[in-house]
Amino acid sequence: MEEKISHLKEEVVEKMNQIKSAVDVENLRVEYLGKKGQVIDILKNLKNVAADKRKEVGEKANSLRVEIEEMIEAKKEELKEKEYEAEINNAEKIDLTVPVEDKVGSLHPITIVQRELEDIFTSMGFTVEDGNEVETEYNNFEAVNVPKYHPARDMQDTFWLENGELLKTQTSAAQNKIMLKYGAPLKAIFPGRCFRNEALDASHENTFFQMEGMMIDKNVSISNLIYFMKTLLSEIFKKDIEVRLRPGYFPFVEPGFELDIKCPYCDGKGCKVCKNGSWIELCPCGMIHPNVLKMGGIDPEEYSGFAFGLGLSRLAMMKYNINDLRALNSCDVRILKQMNIK
Amino acid sequence: MYISINWIKDFVDLDGIDVEKLIYKFTMSTAEVEGITKHGEDVKGVIVAQILSVDEVENSKKLHKLMVDTGKEKLQVICGAPNVKVGAKVAFAQVGSVVGGQTIGQATLAGQISNGMCLSERELGVSDDHSGIIILDDDTPLGVDIKEVIPVDDVIYEVDNKSLTNRPDLWGHYGIAREIAAITGRKLKPLDVENLALYNDLEKLSIGVEVEDDENPLCLRYSAMRVENVTKKVSSWKMKVRLYYCGMRSINLLADMTNYIMLELGQPMHAFDQNIVGSVNVKTLKEDSKFITLDKQERSLDKGTLMICHEDEPVAIAGVMGGLASEITDNTTSLFLESANFDAVAIRKTASKLDLRTDAAARYEKTLDPELTELAIARFIKVLKDEDKDIKVTSCFSDVYVKKYPHITIHIDKDYIDRSIGKELSMEEITTTLTNLEYDIKVEGKNITIEVPTFRATKDVSQKADIIEEIARIHGYDNIEPKTNLWKISPVRRDPVRELEYSAKELLASKYGMSEIHSYVWYNTELNQELGIKVKDNLKITNGIVRLDNTLRREMAPTMLYAINKNLKYMPECKVFEIGRTFDYAFDGKDAKEYKVLGIGLSSTKQTEKELIIEAKSMIDSIVKINKNMKAQYENVDTVENNWMHPVNSFKVLVDDKELGYITIVHPKVRDAINQKASIVAAEIRIDILGEMLKKDVVYQEVSKYQNVTFDLSLIVDKNVKYSQIENVIKSADMEYLMEYSLVDIYENELKLAGKKTVTIRFTIGSYTDTLTKEQIDSQREKVLEVLNQNGMYIND
Repeated sequence: MEEKISHLKEEVVEKMNQIKSAVDVENLRVEYLGKKGQVIDILKNLKNVAADKRKEVGEKANSLRVEIEEMIEAKKEELKEKEYEAEINNAEKIDLTVPVEDKVGSLHPITIVQRELEDIFTSMGFTVEDGNEVETEYNNFEAVNVPKYHPARDMQDTFWLENGELLKTQTSAAQNKIMLKYGAPLKAIFPGRCFRNEALDASHENTFFQMEGMMIDKNVSISNLIYFMKTLLSEIFKKDIEVRLRPGYFPFVEPGFELDIKCPYCDGKGCKVCKNGSWIELCPCGMIHPNVLKMGGIDPEEYSGFAFGLGLSRLAMMKYNINDLRALNSCDVRILKQMNIK
Repeated sequence: MYISINWIKDFVDLDGIDVEKLIYKFTMSTAEVEGITKHGEDVKGVIVAQILSVDEVENSKKLHKLMVDTGKEKLQVICGAPNVKVGAKVAFAQVGSVVGGQTIGQATLAGQISNGMCLSERELGVSDDHSGIIILDDDTPLGVDIKEVIPVDDVIYEVDNKSLTNRPDLWGHYGIAREIAAITGRKLKPLDVENLALYNDLEKLSIGVEVEDDENPLCLRYSAMRVENVTKKVSSWKMKVRLYYCGMRSINLLADMTNYIMLELGQPMHAFDQNIVGSVNVKTLKEDSKFITLDKQERSLDKGTLMICHEDEPVAIAGVMGGLASEITDNTTSLFLESANFDAVAIRKTASKLDLRTDAAARYEKTLDPELTELAIARFIKVLKDEDKDIKVTSCFSDVYVKKYPHITIHIDKDYIDRSIGKELSMEEITTTLTNLEYDIKVEGKNITIEVPTFRATKDVSQKADIIEEIARIHGYDNIEPKTNLWKISPVRRDPVRELEYSAKELLASKYGMSEIHSYVWYNTELNQELGIKVKDNLKITNGIVRLDNTLRREMAPTMLYAINKNLKYMPECKVFEIGRTFDYAFDGKDAKEYKVLGIGLSSTKQTEKELIIEAKSMIDSIVKINKNMKAQYENVDTVENNWMHPVNSFKVLVDDKELGYITIVHPKVRDAINQKASIVAAEIRIDILGEMLKKDVVYQEVSKYQNVTFDLSLIVDKNVKYSQIENVIKSADMEYLMEYSLVDIYENELKLAGKKTVTIRFTIGSYTDTLTKEQIDSQREKVLEVLNQNGMYIND
């Protein structure tokens, strides 16, 4: 009997080596370990074995059964491995260098720059306000200290409308409404579309975007304005920016400044952007005129503040190296598609 | 405005000062400088010489052969000028000298050798005159450098006029010199003027000023003086060159004098020929009239225009330009000199109306100091005497002073100044600056009482903020260190409309691959015509120059169609959007309403109209769901209001029962005008209304622990039955175990299902508390079928 067991083992090992498919494995299992399998048969017939040998034969037969089960498992795994290997070897080799159609559209460069700026300002505690495009003469001029027939009106050629209103020439048109709405202290920016009756060329548009800001509180000084503008512009250009203030005349501020920045593209060494001037005139600003505060219902003896204007169209052109202002309103998708979304 | 450094040096000692650095400081403390021109750098070695002989040149009608004496040698020179004459002293560019940056060499003209050239004023760079060579005074010494005779060397810098809008005092060299004195800390020299009191005993000129409004007189002051026996006709080189460098042309001595004093003091002056205008009346026109100005133009003047009249005859438009009839000529020897002050607004109105922005008008509109009129006359007499010593003043200083500006006193304390600037300045610096700018000040402890000089008090300086500017700018803004201030930070409220705007933009660009455009807020008349777009009338731009595109947009769709029209020429599909404003005007003279609208324009030569309009719906659904957690409803537009809308396939968009706009397939007529092969869809959504809507809360619904079952019903319905109608029927069945239902498919086939279609809907049935029995499930199916049948919707067997 013991001889038979060891013979069976050799036989199974022999057959196992020949096996190439899962079906053969199953057949082999049935032949030896199935209900009528040869090993099971031995176990079933142990009662016929001499009593003194029964235990030994039983153990041997059992260990053969375990051994065969293990061989089967190992074989199954080996076959599965081969299957994977075959699948991988037969897999299609994909060329990911083939371009795919991207469905990504584009936001307008002004939108991208405006949102960036709004994020910076809101992180500094500024409220973002929206002005109208059609405005009253009062809001656009009188309320920012430009009475009728004031020579300062020359600075801006206005589109007048038949009902006596106008297309706002400057975002400052929103100043008065915002002061009356919030009172002091106040921190607000108000971006918007502005209009000037100008002939179009590479650097003149009749429709463009500005962003204006106001900050009103107790004891706001010129030195605070310089600090704020420097911090803000460094944030916008993502590098430390050197600023300089010159006198500038804007009726709604006193004193008024022209703020220049040391060209961030060449660090003042001279380049195309600064026209080799090393400074770029970027942003008119100043301490809000007491008359403007008064008209906005704010007491200039108690509060002071500053206001500043940023040319969004200008910043967008600088950011994207666009050299013709007209590109922004061209609606030319071939241009706009290049802008991406962020 | 051009500023001559030579002229400034008349009033401030600039010895040892680097002029370019000074001009930079001027930029940083006073006003923007637009450019610097250095005159005379390109002229070297030109000397005074004398013509000894003039001979004809063979074979030339124009050229002359001259013998020229330089004081050192005698040279042959060939010259083409017509005014050569023996004995004339000329500006001579000898061989080796530099003119206009070019080195002069020996030349051969008409076969004759020329050792240098005699220069015209234009060649020397001191005027535009090239009609002949310069003829100098007979007593000019031979051989000296021309620059000792004609002040060729000067540095001129141009100040941006806009940055002087609020500074009437800076419209002349003396005012600029005052600034430069303050910037450099040097003394401003007093102006050398004639003592007018000397003439007090002489005849008084007749000046009448009609005042219609005592509060706001149009003529604030009119001063005049009479000068006779003016015999010199030509101005000195100094005056001529300064005028030329400052952008004016030398005409004759008297005309030059008025211009010179204007450029020096900022006070416009006018000289009438005394024989024509011996007395004046200043009054407004009583009716519309014609008037011929100095420039020989006939002008139409409105009633109410302020005029200078001789007796009743107008002789000048006050503050703008004189009349041709009373103009001084080269023969004028006696003059009636006007130095007056007029209302800034009135002058500005007249000048704008006539489109005649003269140098005088540009100054008057800045609100000049009336005190200047007297100073200007005193200076005029002094300078004229220097030019022509034989003149005679034959009247006293005659003056009608209608209105003086109130004297302004400002009280300020040092703490306020320090606080406003954000830096502590010494009291000494503050007082020096103010004194140099000619403020009268009194200091008591920290308090300063400031008397504003008249030339700053017309409107420029009136309150503390103005004084802060004076002190800070002369200190130099560059010298103020940036300092932070700990402002309170309060949370920022986000504007829901703006949030929606950005969210919608980003969604359309990133999910739908669209491009955001920016355009104009008015209709394009030409394109409307070309594309057959008819727009309703709306608010118009009314500016003088007639604009073709003068109507503001009431709708966004035309803007989208313009963009599609442009881009479809280059690409097979174009999908664009813009969030912009539209305007709604009722033609009642009142303010227009303004809306914020999302315009969508979809066009493709590859997709069908149906595919595009479904895409547009998906966009709007996504925007509404993401931002407001709501569902948009779509209803057919009953009658389309705009001709680009499709009469059948136009749909109102509603959210929460509010109408927000529409989606439409573009009318075939407009589509064909753009591109016959394209499908085009347009939509407009009121972003402002949607933005203000409250977002619906997301209500969490627990997932049932029990198994759901589904069944499909395929319904045969009339082709024109809408899905929303089927939905309404399903809702009315009120199925108690209905978890949800959804559309599986809509099948249309003209051959098999004439006039009908099959709509397959999947119902999901379940319960949160039990596993449903077969009876319960069946009852649901029966219930909905019964109601569907009642509404003529049967299942397809």
